[in-house]
Amino acid sequence: MNQREKEAYLREYSILKAQGKPFFPYAVAKDSLMGLLVVVVIIVLSLLFGAQLGPKASGATTTYVPRPDWYFFFLFQLLRVIHPPGFLGVATIGIPTLGMILLFLLPFYDRSAERRIERRPIAVATLVFVVVAMALLTLRGAAAGSPTALTISAPAAVKAAGKGAVSEFYAGRAASSDVGCGACHTIGTAGNPGPGPALTHVGSRIPLAGIERTLVNPTAPMPSFKGLPPKELTAIATFISDLK
Amino acid sequence: MSEAPPRPRRRRGPRLPKPPVPPAFLPRPLPPGTQRGAPRTALDHAAESGKVVVDWIDERTQLSGVTRWVMFRKVPRGTNWFYTLGSATMFAFLAQAVTGVFLAMYYRPDASGGAYESVRYISTSVFLGNFVRGMHKWGATVMVVLVFLHMARTFVWGAYKYPRELNWVIGVTLLILTMIMGFTGYLLPFDERSYWATIVGVNINGTGPVIGPYLSDFLRGGPEFNATTLSRFYAIHMLILPGAIAGLILAHLYLVTKLGTTAPPWVKATPEEPALGEETA
Amino acid sequence: MAPARRPKKSQYTLDRGMPGAFEGETVSRRRFMTGTVHGAGMLMTAGMVIPAVGFALGPVFKNVTLGWQTVGTPDMFPEDNYLPVVITIAPGIGEAGKSTVYVRKRNPKVDTQPASASNQWVAITSRCSHLGCSVLWVQAAEHFICPCHGSVFDVEGVRTAGPAPRPLDRFYTRLHDGFVQVGPRYSVNTELRAFSPRDPGEPLDGIGQYAYPSRPTVRKLPGHV
Repeated sequence: MNQREKEAYLREYSILKAQGKPFFPYAVAKDSLMGLLVVVVIIVLSLLFGAQLGPKASGATTTYVPRPDWYFFFLFQLLRVIHPPGFLGVATIGIPTLGMILLFLLPFYDRSAERRIERRPIAVATLVFVVVAMALLTLRGAAAGSPTALTISAPAAVKAAGKGAVSEFYAGRAASSDVGCGACHTIGTAGNPGPGPALTHVGSRIPLAGIERTLVNPTAPMPSFKGLPPKELTAIATFISDLK
Repeated sequence: MSEAPPRPRRRRGPRLPKPPVPPAFLPRPLPPGTQRGAPRTALDHAAESGKVVVDWIDERTQLSGVTRWVMFRKVPRGTNWFYTLGSATMFAFLAQAVTGVFLAMYYRPDASGGAYESVRYISTSVFLGNFVRGMHKWGATVMVVLVFLHMARTFVWGAYKYPRELNWVIGVTLLILTMIMGFTGYLLPFDERSYWATIVGVNINGTGPVIGPYLSDFLRGGPEFNATTLSRFYAIHMLILPGAIAGLILAHLYLVTKLGTTAPPWVKATPEEPALGEETA
Repeated sequence: MAPARRPKKSQYTLDRGMPGAFEGETVSRRRFMTGTVHGAGMLMTAGMVIPAVGFALGPVFKNVTLGWQTVGTPDMFPEDNYLPVVITIAPGIGEAGKSTVYVRKRNPKVDTQPASASNQWVAITSRCSHLGCSVLWVQAAEHFICPCHGSVFDVEGVRTAGPAPRPLDRFYTRLHDGFVQVGPRYSVNTELRAFSPRDPGEPLDGIGQYAYPSRPTVRKLPGHV
């Protein structure tokens, strides 16, 4: 923005300002109505949802699944998405710091005089990218399950097979959660993307007997589950073969 | 003073008899040489009292000029509802300040169990306790949402450009302070969720090379989460950050008043319209 | 255009024609007063800020040591499974200062770390080396699983999946009066070489051990980086 553009803007702005209305009461009226709305929304949210208080903090627990407040979900999900260990610092410090610096310095590198958004293609692209990325990360972060808590629901074929099959499916899901299948396999939206293959549709490729064989006598590095009680092993195998 | 023509009064129903008034309050004829409109009776004096107090203060502080500068400045043509997002954020901050001060009356920053117990006490036993805590919790959410909306408006309308660059920098600082507010406040209820989120958050700070480990030790006040961690977070959450945010909001508002709010970028001043200083609409 | 260099003014106030100047005086009254304002202001600010900052920074340089804690008898710990035991890592705050440690007897068939007096029992922390969430030992899968960002560690605590930058931290163990005791924590790199304890999220391979130095708060273990 050069001196001429600066003066042109100031001249234009002074005319627009002279043609405007006094702040009080015209703008203040809108502000106060909006402020009222804010307070009403806070009160309604408080009445509807209140404030939860979980169990008391304990440093020794190994079963609690920590989650941040919703407005940090995008950072939380970023840490899950960027998972090569060498890039840990990039996800935790690098990207957020870079984002903050770029945000701080925005007026110093975007020095064009143009203010209309339809004539600022780079700004539009950045805005769309940031909003979509943050929204996706937030949504996926909110839905992210623990590898030790599978959330996949029964497929249609299982539901069609009747109530018994459905309850068998969920019993098998609970057992699979407990033995940590999700640590190495993706099952639905939960679980890790590796080192094992995704199991979301494995039932359509491998029959029940094959799955049972694999659980007892797997190829390395998968551990053998032959130490499990036979009933639990069957439940897990049935659950996995139901994933079609 | 009362030079405006009297408004025609519409009378409804029959006129009632006047209530009995003590003689001291009855209007008396003006003594010769008295100014019109000067207070004469005790009632007049009472009616004037507010004005007298304001005049007294203004005579000593000269605040009326500032007030006029802030309140009766003009906002440019095209000002619309999007311009309320900033003040709405400020109202959300004020709501947080008020509820926070009152939560502090019951809260104890004691990591050995007192903190959790005091929050449980607020939630279960204090009159309106859960409601005020809920307001503080949801107020945080509302404030974060409004901060982002306000920033989006500023970005889309190019309102961060000359001459308002500095105000953008202040605004980004306020955004970051608001996020730190959310992070430090998250620990205070001291339930499982708070505790583990704080451990993770502090360790995230620790992943910065070289200074990261020292920053973690500073935040925790030691090598592990310990008794001083909670009081540190409490002091940051309720003393340091609110003070910083309030100060920066004042600076933000000063610059808004000084530079004026932007007009929407699609509104253009047309040469046919009256020039500088003349009033329309 | 740069202005022409002006002749340098004399440093004596008398030469500059100041009213009331003394012979040999170089500091004018105005300069003296301005200096007083700056000097007093800086000293005053330093007087307030330095103690406050030192007060807040104190714990960063204070060494905190925890002694050995008894966790059980030698026959309690199997070779092929971990037993979770709870120790205190921050005294005085009850439950919040505790942490779970997974302990088993050293198994020469599994353990690759050279045997020594301090690792006859393998004690592995439950704090994930990614960002400090608590990992769960799943016996059936023979892996440690972290519920936060999905790191997975094998039976030795070495990462097999997920974003963790180094294996799980370990504790020194010893046999004392017939009881197994857990001592100071130490960090290991991917080859299970021991380092002074680091915080989660800090890699120890390659340049990591220098980018994330050991801190004054935790005792620098003798012979460790």
